[in-house]
Amino acid sequence: MTATLGRFLILASVFVSAAGAMVAFAAGKSQSLDGLKMARRFAYAFAALMAIATGVMEYALLTHDFSVGYVAQVGSRSVPTWVTIVSLWSSLEGSILFWGLVMGLYIAGATWLTRGQYVDYMPFAIGTWLSCAAFFAFLIPGPANPFVSVPNPPLDGNGPNPLLQNHYLMVIHPPFLYLGYVGMTIPFGFACAALLRGRLGHAFLKPLRASLMLPWIFLTIAIMLGGWWAYEVLGWGGYWAWDPVENASLLPWLTATAALHSAVVMERRGVLKGWTVTLVQASFLLTILGTFMTRSGVFNSVHSFTQSSIGPTILVFLAAVLLYSIVLLALRVDSLESEGRIDSPVSREGMFLVNNLIFVLLTFTVLIGTVFPLVVEAFRGKQMSVGRPYFDSMVVPVGTALLFLIGVGPALPWGRTTKQQALRSLLQPLASGLVVATIGFVLGARNPWTLVTLLFGGYAAWVTIVEMSRGGAKVMKRGRRRVGAYIVHAGAVIVLVAIAVSSTMKTQTEAQLTRGQSATIGAYTVTFLGTEERNEPNRQATIARFAVTSNGKPVTTMEPRMNQYPQMREPIGTPDVHSTITRDLYLSIMNIDPSTQSVSVMMLITPMVSWIWIAVMIMGLGGVVALVPYRKRVVNEAPLTDVAAEVA
Amino acid sequence: MNRTVLIVGAAIAIALLAVLFLGLGKDPTAIETPLIGKPAPQFALKAVNGSETIDIARLRGKPVVVNFWATWCVPCYQEHPVLVENAPAMPNVQFVGVVFNDSADKINAFLRQNGSSYPTVLDEQGKTAIEYGVGGVPETFFINPKGVIVAKYVGPMTPDILQANVAKAMVQ
Repeated sequence: MTATLGRFLILASVFVSAAGAMVAFAAGKSQSLDGLKMARRFAYAFAALMAIATGVMEYALLTHDFSVGYVAQVGSRSVPTWVTIVSLWSSLEGSILFWGLVMGLYIAGATWLTRGQYVDYMPFAIGTWLSCAAFFAFLIPGPANPFVSVPNPPLDGNGPNPLLQNHYLMVIHPPFLYLGYVGMTIPFGFACAALLRGRLGHAFLKPLRASLMLPWIFLTIAIMLGGWWAYEVLGWGGYWAWDPVENASLLPWLTATAALHSAVVMERRGVLKGWTVTLVQASFLLTILGTFMTRSGVFNSVHSFTQSSIGPTILVFLAAVLLYSIVLLALRVDSLESEGRIDSPVSREGMFLVNNLIFVLLTFTVLIGTVFPLVVEAFRGKQMSVGRPYFDSMVVPVGTALLFLIGVGPALPWGRTTKQQALRSLLQPLASGLVVATIGFVLGARNPWTLVTLLFGGYAAWVTIVEMSRGGAKVMKRGRRRVGAYIVHAGAVIVLVAIAVSSTMKTQTEAQLTRGQSATIGAYTVTFLGTEERNEPNRQATIARFAVTSNGKPVTTMEPRMNQYPQMREPIGTPDVHSTITRDLYLSIMNIDPSTQSVSVMMLITPMVSWIWIAVMIMGLGGVVALVPYRKRVVNEAPLTDVAAEVA
Repeated sequence: MNRTVLIVGAAIAIALLAVLFLGLGKDPTAIETPLIGKPAPQFALKAVNGSETIDIARLRGKPVVVNFWATWCVPCYQEHPVLVENAPAMPNVQFVGVVFNDSADKINAFLRQNGSSYPTVLDEQGKTAIEYGVGGVPETFFINPKGVIVAKYVGPMTPDILQANVAKAMVQ
């Protein structure tokens, strides 16, 4: 019954999105206001159907209705309620449904916020959104149907993927990623609308930029959450491994970041319109490529635990969207005429251009590194992996250059720059960079790239702080977007420095301990207190307890563990991390033996890791500051004396 | 019509789609080895659980299962009982465990606790593992009576996988 209702809702959503797309494009062609009105209704209807369908699925999950295929697949009476709720995105079929919900909410939100505005562009935007929606809605009853009826429902199920139950970060990482990925559909729709309309006016930049900024914020945080999860769960002590699925999340982020920057130049100087539109389209296309990478099973990855048969279908969609984008761009890019020009390469806009080239270079570097093993296999029949060395050797210099630009770009004025101006703005912050690099050297930094990163980091931090404080208290009212951008920059500077320091200055050691024995790492003494077996509702855990002291004073007790889930053959090791503001102590069990009370443990001290998570949150916050529009609050701005007079 | 955009865009799109299309349907975890059909690389190493020296050249005449593992490898814990239980049931097949990147003490402790039913040797400098092109543990090679490698399996084996591969080594 529930399954039938679900299937009906999904089929209705396929119909509504497909019909809505046709109505919208027809309205765009004839520039009909009534047509636009109708298209908007279709957009709302699609969102409503997706929301109800997701609600039906959640209801089925919570009531353990195993006659619904997806519930039989991922449901279990023995898992906690929060696990049941989030198992919606624990497996392919449910996550595509969740994807549809997010898409519906984005489309309805964007349609609502642009009501009565941009009437000449909106039909095309809504048409593009609903076309993409139709594709994902089609996946649900087709190759990824969660609402299959189970004729003989089981009494209980296996429960969702253990990885989802193993750490709370896995609960929030997927929604953020979907909000980032799916959100790129909205700016894609706006970009296509500009091309279809053959015009990109100044006013239309606002929705384009805002709709890019929102998913960018989610994607930024999602990438960090993914890295944090890997760090807290996978047990090798790192947070990024250039795994194809990690790269899949980074690729659209790189092009979206480039687009956010080129949009500023477009706004200030009236140039780079076609380029910005291309970057926005690329960001969307890369989210589809990323979906293919995660779901097709073509790439070998620790993260792609939702492999399935939908690979070919997504590839067809990717091909269709690529074709649509390229043809549209080729036909119409020349009609987005430039209104201005770039006067001098040594200027703010010149630096924006360099920034864009670097981001595009990074995108290609990561993309080629990710797909290269497939190329080799296709042509030479041999398997290979590109691995860390390639990415590190390519990305580290480019990332360092980017850090340099975060400093130099904002220090240079718009337009033409005199030599003295350039020198003055470039040399002053250098002092700050030298101070930071010297401090790093004194604290033990010897890796040349780390020292260069510290130098540029100190440099960029100085420029960012000076620029942020320019304009004083009024800045939150008038220059809100600018301040938001500098907050993002401040976060980015910290992230890059923290990555350089944490990856080059860690100490690692391994020890085999029996109960009561200790090992030392850095300033810490780690004493093995013994093992403990714990039965939890959804798993069995073998826990190793360690007392951590520093200079004889107790610091903390740590409990790295091995979790055994009933549906998995291998236990999942979960390290324990003691985070402080300067460094993390990381304990990961390699081997544990409760019978002899012995454990072999990997110990790791990594400096500055927490700063990565904190600084990415700062970047997200900066994005929010830039996004939230300033509302003129007339009452608050009235001089106090007037208010006092009124009250009197 | 902007021809540059069309040509550059089409070039990138066609290349990307072609590569992705060719990748469809392949299993990225199945790592091929050029050693299939070639004579098994030689090694003669002393067993850690006994006094004998295992010389692979002397094992000709019956199928050999060479299992690379280590005490620090979690999936090896899972695989170990499968091998220990199945080896005595296949008296015509010689099982050899090759442990690399490990110490004799740890291996003996592991075997005492988890059992053993066939010789295990320590590949001290990892030389044998390199000659067999081992990318990670566990990895298992199946050698026919003529001393030729006929199959390789990456990852922990189940009884079915073990038996299917041993059958291949029996036939050829």
